[in-house]
Amino acid sequence: MTQVWFDDVDIGACIGTIDKGVMTTAHIMRWSAAVENFHRIHYDWRFATGHDKLPDVLVNGSWKQHVLVQLVKDSLGPGGWLWKLKFRYKKMDVAGDRIRGRADVLAKDVIDGLGFVTLRLVLTDQNDQVSTAGHAIGVLPLRGGPAVPYPFVRKPAYDALTFPADA
Amino acid sequence: MEGTQISAAEFARYTGMSGEPKLAPTPLERDALRRFVQAVMDTDPLYYDDGYAKSTKYRGVVAPPLYPVHAFRPAPGGADPLDMLHDDPDADGSGGVEGVYFGLAPIPSPFKRLLNGGNEIEFYRCLAVGERCIANARFADVTLKQGKSGAMLLTTIETRFTTEAGELLLVNRQTLIWR
Repeated sequence: MTQVWFDDVDIGACIGTIDKGVMTTAHIMRWSAAVENFHRIHYDWRFATGHDKLPDVLVNGSWKQHVLVQLVKDSLGPGGWLWKLKFRYKKMDVAGDRIRGRADVLAKDVIDGLGFVTLRLVLTDQNDQVSTAGHAIGVLPLRGGPAVPYPFVRKPAYDALTFPADA
Repeated sequence: MEGTQISAAEFARYTGMSGEPKLAPTPLERDALRRFVQAVMDTDPLYYDDGYAKSTKYRGVVAPPLYPVHAFRPAPGGADPLDMLHDDPDADGSGGVEGVYFGLAPIPSPFKRLLNGGNEIEFYRCLAVGERCIANARFADVTLKQGKSGAMLLTTIETRFTTEAGELLLVNRQTLIWR
């Protein structure tokens, strides 16, 4: 994994993408089993479509939030840190949908020698419909600057950074 | 507001209430982590390769940053959440809302439909293999509102996840919408 430097990130640029492919019922079942979520809307087609009147079994929202985390973590590289994440679900994804994600840079700030990038995040389906939308604030090292501390330590000066008004 | 049993003021009094700290039933185990990251489809060696992980700032294998919210699975010997399906064939199998309340006493809501209104999360550290996490939850805000389609109860639950040693892992603020 290549290190990403704050100096090399441009506002307006896409900093990372992710493509999970088509979420089949087997993928959904594997996630439900891994986190022991036995809600039937995720694996019982008769219950999902009959009892709950859904179009099909649903891709778990809990899975999509981890995809957002992976998208930002991978976009920032091993020396970066995902500090803040905010998101909302906009529509349901169902079995057979292809899930992709994208992170774009909205803003850059330097505080106490660390680089902070504000990102816009989306997860979309095969029709480019947004199913999950959010923002993140990531921390990157500057060339010649200090490493991003781990564990990350919040400082009062960082509170000046906020999510966009539409977040 | 059909069916509402308590007033807006009574809902508001829940704001600020905390639950008892909840300890994950087991420390982070490698096999649970393996199944988790395979299900996310995240192949980062940080989650399984000791040699690689030791060479990083994490100094060992860790779980993905948001893993702690899934660390609170039913303890062995406790109630089986699937028992409800024996008594009620229409039960949804979810086991209720404990998964988001993290030890908070649920608010007696007259509303039946629960929606996720979004999350805001701060990350500080990853849970390492062998560590056990603790959740401390509180109602950050409980407000009864009138929407276009009727009344709704907005509940924001703030849960702080720490290690047993008290090191902060993450803070999750989840907004739930009852309608």
